[in-house]
Amino acid sequence: MPVPQTDLLQGTLDLLILKALALQELHGMGVSRRIAQITGGAFDVKAGSLFPALHRMEQAGWLTSSWGESETNRRAKFYALTKTGKKQLHNESERWERISLAMATALRTA
Amino acid sequence: MISSLRALWNNLFRRKKLDRELDEELQAYLELVSAEKMRQGVSPEDAYRDARRDTGGVEQVKESVRDVRAGVWLDSLARDLRYGVRTLAKNPAFTLVAMATLALGIGANTAMFSLLDQVVLRLLPIRDPERVVIVRETGNHYGNTYGANTISWPMFEDLRDNNQTFSGMFCRFPATVAIGYADRAAQISAELVSGSYFPVLGVGAALGRTIAPDDDAVPDSRRVVVLSYSFWRTYFDGDRSIVGRTINLNSYAMTVIGVAQPGFDGVELGVPAKVFVPIMMKTEMTPRSDGLKDRPRRLSWVTAYGRLKPGVSVQQAEASLQPILHSILEMEALQPEFTGNTTASDRQLFLRNRVELLPGSENELRDDMRKPLWLLLALTGAVLLLACANLANLLLARDTARERQLAVRLAIRAGRARIVCQLLTETLLLSTGGAVVGLALAFLTDLILLRIYLPADAAAEFVVSPIPDVRVLAFVVGAMLLTALVFGLLPALRGSRTEITLSLKDRSGAASAGGISLRRILVGIQVALSLLLLVGAGLFVRTLRNLENLGPGFPTDRLLTFTIDPSLSGYSDGETKSFFERLNVNLQTMPGVASVGFSTMPLLKGYAWQNAILGKDFEGAPIEGQPVLCEVGPDYFATLGIPIVAGRAITAQDDGPVEYKSAVVNETFARKYFPGRNPIGQRFGLVNEMKPVSPDIEVVGVIPDKKYRDLRETPPAQAFFPYFQGAKFRFMNVYLRTQADPRQFENELRERMRQFDSHVPVVGLRTMNEQIGFSLRTERLVASLSAVFGGLATLLAVIGLYGVTAYTVMRRTREIGIRLALGALRSNVIGMVMREVFLLIGAGLVVGFSLALALANLIRSQLFGLNPRDPLTFVGSAIVLALAAGLAGLIPALHASYVDPTTALRNE
Repeated sequence: MPVPQTDLLQGTLDLLILKALALQELHGMGVSRRIAQITGGAFDVKAGSLFPALHRMEQAGWLTSSWGESETNRRAKFYALTKTGKKQLHNESERWERISLAMATALRTA
Repeated sequence: MISSLRALWNNLFRRKKLDRELDEELQAYLELVSAEKMRQGVSPEDAYRDARRDTGGVEQVKESVRDVRAGVWLDSLARDLRYGVRTLAKNPAFTLVAMATLALGIGANTAMFSLLDQVVLRLLPIRDPERVVIVRETGNHYGNTYGANTISWPMFEDLRDNNQTFSGMFCRFPATVAIGYADRAAQISAELVSGSYFPVLGVGAALGRTIAPDDDAVPDSRRVVVLSYSFWRTYFDGDRSIVGRTINLNSYAMTVIGVAQPGFDGVELGVPAKVFVPIMMKTEMTPRSDGLKDRPRRLSWVTAYGRLKPGVSVQQAEASLQPILHSILEMEALQPEFTGNTTASDRQLFLRNRVELLPGSENELRDDMRKPLWLLLALTGAVLLLACANLANLLLARDTARERQLAVRLAIRAGRARIVCQLLTETLLLSTGGAVVGLALAFLTDLILLRIYLPADAAAEFVVSPIPDVRVLAFVVGAMLLTALVFGLLPALRGSRTEITLSLKDRSGAASAGGISLRRILVGIQVALSLLLLVGAGLFVRTLRNLENLGPGFPTDRLLTFTIDPSLSGYSDGETKSFFERLNVNLQTMPGVASVGFSTMPLLKGYAWQNAILGKDFEGAPIEGQPVLCEVGPDYFATLGIPIVAGRAITAQDDGPVEYKSAVVNETFARKYFPGRNPIGQRFGLVNEMKPVSPDIEVVGVIPDKKYRDLRETPPAQAFFPYFQGAKFRFMNVYLRTQADPRQFENELRERMRQFDSHVPVVGLRTMNEQIGFSLRTERLVASLSAVFGGLATLLAVIGLYGVTAYTVMRRTREIGIRLALGALRSNVIGMVMREVFLLIGAGLVVGFSLALALANLIRSQLFGLNPRDPLTFVGSAIVLALAAGLAGLIPALHASYVDPTTALRNE
């Protein structure tokens, strides 16, 4: 079931984008599709959220971008993780796991 | 960090490229999405449309990407600035009036603050200036005094050697000396300083060294001199080889040992010292007046300074100095020079004298100028307030006119904050423009003020620079920001509150009833403030007129005066005396000169020689105050046109060595010291700082009371002695009664004096009327500036009133049209508009009147010959203001009465 974008927790989108780019560099739509794929279709990130986030993260130095050729043979902008981005992914993942564990424990308690 | 800096750089300076790339990126995204859709079987046309729809508006995406860019606030500021400049340029009349208003307000304030800062506020240019204090003795000193804040040399030594309060003490004495170097002769101001002067002040040398304690240990021993930096630059062209060379001071060869650090011109601000000489050279620098080697305790002449030890407050220091002073006074009270001339009750009063510490930057000029300059700053502050009120009014009017535009922007969901921001940016632009123009105005004003205020020869001496310094700039920027914030924010906030529907629906609606009343209050305040300023101007102008009309009490139209001092050119007592005798004869034979008079003390220059007197007739009863004394030549009274009312004048026969035998006194002197008796033949004596004296000066004549020190004074008790009976001969003030306009003789006189003796320069040659004009310079400054400010204020109030009335009429055009259509007369319309105008003026006047009545007493001491609540001035100012403002209201009223009903009704 798709989750409405407004319900995305603060920071969740950033973490998803980092995760999506962990294995390979992707263009904007690639990131969007990869997120849908790894969340089992729960998140469908729209352009209005995706591109501001990508640009913001690039300015923060987590991502780097380069122009390459897309699968439709078109010039497209590809994003990849920087060293800082990888560190950020690592830290954020740990933080997220702690939070979700805590949340899960809390919710299981009767 | 680096990446975000690079991003900021790119965002600010490579926006076009970024935007192009963003376009391409999004285009690629759309194509990819539609390709995906086509793969899922959607037709190519639908695929692209769906992709666009799913994206949710390409432009919105772009906008939100731009919003996350670093420095986005800078971006919007730049946009606001561009928009602001465009708006202001589109409305040049508004921009011009607003900027001119602000420029006047800020300019006037900057000019006044710059003067106040430099003349009154500034501290000494030394290390920790606030720790340096002047040490003075309060109360009657029972002796001779050279100027305010002075003590005797032995008193200085006692305080210096016995206090635990100061880390160091020094003293100084200002003197005029003749300098000779490379065939050039001039008189310059010098500072005689103790050896501790430079070390305690913490002032170093730019070249060579400063005066050290060693240089000032033994009287007459070290002939050394330190030059001030600016004097070294101007007089010696900054010649670095000057150190070690010899210059002549009062014809004594003195070695230049150094140049003081730049910016330091001695401790008397406004009266810069050109050279510094050890005070042990006193005898050489001030011929025939010593006070140092003979150590008189009844002659105070040095100004003493101390640097407070760390952690010691002024109050603590004063308290700890009192016992030291008291023991000195007790010792002095037993000395014959004190007991010989005083009574037991004098002694009691004397022992109550105390030490008082003043800020080290204090001096007489500052004391005189403090009140007038603060007053003028207060007046300019009121003008700035008025200017701001006008600006606020203009902005309100403009923003009201733009309500519709603002409403449109609100309707398309521009944030209120953004709108306030943008309106503020505009105001800031306006006030920056105003400040820049105002600064230029201030520079010009100060230049002109200094020229008017000071005569040409004094202007060179008086180093007040028209160039504002950092503090003045800070003042301007502060004033500017405050104006922008307060008076821009008010209308801006109102603007952002605009009711969308109301404004869009109907322009003639009652949308801004609140604005009108705010604007009315502003105009009311303007009228009140203008009345205040007009009343002030009236009072000051009438004070000046009173003083000018009254004059000193003798005819001044054909009088020339100058000062001359042969003793500075190395003339001995005998030579000086014969110089004056020959000069007297020489000038009497000058064509066009009716009469020549000499006096040792100058007329109307604000100072005088005062000395306690004694006599057998008033022995035992201490007489309040000391009479004003002067030595004069034979034809002095005749030259000035002062009649002798009893007895005789001083004649050439009143000669004789070293002791005054005869005196002419004025009526106040006679009344005060010989009440109910014929003053002729009465005797008195002058208290001497060195020895007891007996009363053997005989009163030979009486003159009517005339002003002496300045035009404001009630003539004090005065006594005149024959100068040839004096003991010492130094400088002389010469007065020439001419047979025609005195100015035509000035050049001839200069030439005659050069031929008479080229070694002795003529100083301060001017007419008596110029001298009087100079003595009234403070009054003239205050009167002329307050008149200008009053006029400016009235103009601003009139503009404000016109604006608000014209605006009301415009808003009510339809209503007026209906009234006229229904048969109202033009006079009814005029009456309707004018009723409101007069209501506004009336309210303003009432407030202004009460304010003026309440504040009038504050300026009592600045006035002369009239009551601070002078009814004529008050009523006159009110009438002038009411007339001007009434006329300003009448124009739009007349305009309203010519409204054509059909046009008015059709238009709206």
